[in-house]
Amino acid sequence: MVYDGILLGLIVGLFRGGFRYGLHQFAALKLRGGWIFPLLLLAQFGIFFLQEKLAWVASINGYLFAAVYITGLAFLWLNRHYQGFMLIWIGVLLNFIVMAVNGGRMPVSIEASAVLGPYYVDMLREGGAISKHFMMDASTRLSFLGDIIPLSNPYPRTQVISIGDVVMNVGIFLFIQYMMVNRSSKAVQATETHQA
Amino acid sequence: MNFIRNLIHKADRSSMYVVLLSCAGIGIFLYLNKWSYFRLSTDEWVMVYTMLGAALILDYFTFQIPPKGNQQSMDSSVYLACIFMFGGAFSLSVLLPVSLILLIKDRKLAWWKHIVNFSIYSLMIAGAASVFTWTGGIPGALDGYNLLPYFAALAAYFIINTITLGMFFHFSTKDALQQMKRVFVTESLLVYLCTLILALVLTILVVHNGVLGLLLYLSLSILLSHAFKQLFVMYQSIEEKANTDQRTGLFNHSHFENMLESELAIARSQGTPLSLGLIDIDDFKKYNDRFGHLQGDSLLALLGDFLNRKTDGSNVTAFRYGGEEFTLLMPGMDLDQAYAFMNKLRKQLNDTPFEGVEVFPHGCLSFSAGVARYEVDMYNKSQLVDQADKALYYAKKQGKNNVHRHGSNDGMEHEIDLVQDVRDIEQQLNLFRYKDMDTFKHSKRVYKYALDLSELLELDNVEKRNFVLGALIHDIGKLEIPWSILNKKEKLTAEEWETIKGHVTWGKKMAMTNERFADLIPYIELHHERYDGAGYPYGLKGCEIPRLCRMLTVIDSFDAMTTERPYQETKNMGEAIKELQMCSGSQFDPELAELFIRYIQKRTVQQQMV
Repeated sequence: MVYDGILLGLIVGLFRGGFRYGLHQFAALKLRGGWIFPLLLLAQFGIFFLQEKLAWVASINGYLFAAVYITGLAFLWLNRHYQGFMLIWIGVLLNFIVMAVNGGRMPVSIEASAVLGPYYVDMLREGGAISKHFMMDASTRLSFLGDIIPLSNPYPRTQVISIGDVVMNVGIFLFIQYMMVNRSSKAVQATETHQA
Repeated sequence: MNFIRNLIHKADRSSMYVVLLSCAGIGIFLYLNKWSYFRLSTDEWVMVYTMLGAALILDYFTFQIPPKGNQQSMDSSVYLACIFMFGGAFSLSVLLPVSLILLIKDRKLAWWKHIVNFSIYSLMIAGAASVFTWTGGIPGALDGYNLLPYFAALAAYFIINTITLGMFFHFSTKDALQQMKRVFVTESLLVYLCTLILALVLTILVVHNGVLGLLLYLSLSILLSHAFKQLFVMYQSIEEKANTDQRTGLFNHSHFENMLESELAIARSQGTPLSLGLIDIDDFKKYNDRFGHLQGDSLLALLGDFLNRKTDGSNVTAFRYGGEEFTLLMPGMDLDQAYAFMNKLRKQLNDTPFEGVEVFPHGCLSFSAGVARYEVDMYNKSQLVDQADKALYYAKKQGKNNVHRHGSNDGMEHEIDLVQDVRDIEQQLNLFRYKDMDTFKHSKRVYKYALDLSELLELDNVEKRNFVLGALIHDIGKLEIPWSILNKKEKLTAEEWETIKGHVTWGKKMAMTNERFADLIPYIELHHERYDGAGYPYGLKGCEIPRLCRMLTVIDSFDAMTTERPYQETKNMGEAIKELQMCSGSQFDPELAELFIRYIQKRTVQQQMV
């Protein structure tokens, strides 16, 4: 889901601002604590592989995900002055909250996941500690923050997402717009006339 | 009870209204919504999210409508559509998160205004929903055979909005009634009809196509909003071009006229002070002649920029009035504040360096300015400008580079005018010194009598100026009478008399060459008219002759009688008074003759005492 916001942002940004300016902007981008981001990705993959091989890693799975999320939130918070980062932060926080109160896993609505096909629904029903997701039931807390929004035709991808995902993607979209659209064109004009 | 009474006393009407409104709104919300959030199914949550997003997007993409930049947000159509599809409780469920998000996002607006806003929306939604069900509307797909509930719901929505907002404005701003009528009835009726149609469209789209319908609706709204925005930007840029002066970047004369009119209307209806400053660059012509128009233009541009910067962020607006004249409109400032402001500007301009300032007498850029304030008895806008202009004229006379307030030391303003005018007239009278010394001295004496009498008659400044100057200039036409007739000792022939009589007409023609003496013409032309109608040139009678001209006739004759002339008999004071009394009612206005006699007698007594 993260990629949808990026892709959409890039496409709209291309129309509004232009590729060249956008590239230039991204090259000049300086994020505070920028090294954290790739490290987080690595950690996620690491946990994903290790939890199948080592039982104790699987047992502390919940804590590991919490740690990853908290580091990510801290990273976003450090860069909150960029447009859109506050929204991304809120989105991630919403996801984190619902996972935290449900034992580190994201609850998924059965009705909504019908769009994904019977295979996925069956997989959810069987459950299992491996998956990051589990089936929503009456005991699920804060279910309205879970994966309850079905996406299907005419949307090009079939998915079930949470409100946190939506907020996060809006933030990503806005951030890319902010990077790619040349807002200073007006200001430049003004200084030129002033000099003349 | 005591506690509540105290509270009502402490709070003014508007804040009391705010508290009541908020309580009503929140109460209605709690009663209708009943914490639905705990009971919503995941499907309903998805719908809440969807509508929430739609409302937020519509709130962001407002419709800016020229000419006044009215912003119209279409989020009401979402709430109405929610009522039509799912009922009032659901609509309220969407309203709360929207309000919370706006509260966080829009921190510029005071928090209590957010609450008022939320309460008003709650009341509107609750009202519209109950009217909808009461008139037989069933939540769900649009019922094309029974449109009444939809219109009824919209009407309720509109009426509640008008009443609550109207009362809010009525309590918080004083003169609201008139404005309210215009804003709510004429302007928003159309918008509300639009909202209803949009809500119906949204209902149809969502019921039949779900989220896809909503997306279509949103895309349409965003595109329309974009188009309206372009239109608005275009309108604004054209309006700006029409209202600004290219050279200085300030607003131009025609915009000044418009704004003056509207500010005067505000000052009149709300009783707030309004001051006007008129600025004229000192010796601009000299600068222009020396350095050429191009450089002169850049001086104008500098002053425009200067005024723009100094008035930025304040209530004051600067305009280029024309040429090297500028006006400053200062709403909310009384005369002294305006004076202080202008004087500060003047000093700051003095300290501004500019190329070639050494040609100015003060060695720096400077302006003279007049300030006038709006008075209740002003019936049109030109009066205010006139007063400022007079004050400016006076400031110039004071040696430039200063600011003058209209109405402060009024007498002095006039003294200056009078002295200047007297000097001008005296220059013309000087011609008599070689041709007819008697007339020269006669004019001077009549002028002195007139000065004394204008005190006695308690004339106002304008009347006094005209009377006194009229007395000084009244015989100017005698310059045209040939030497031979003027200094003839023998009795004049009838033909010669006609020539003498001609002096009033010639004098009038001479005075007409100078605009400033236009007011003096009656004194020149009519001082030989008689009260009984036997005078010349017109033979006017009694009150047909202006009162002060009648007065001048008395003075003129009296002085002629008492003037010493060689080889001629002169009347003494007593004889002259007798002559006046005799001719009172025939040649002279009896009342004025009487007044003059009393004045002469009093003066004689005083002189004897000395």
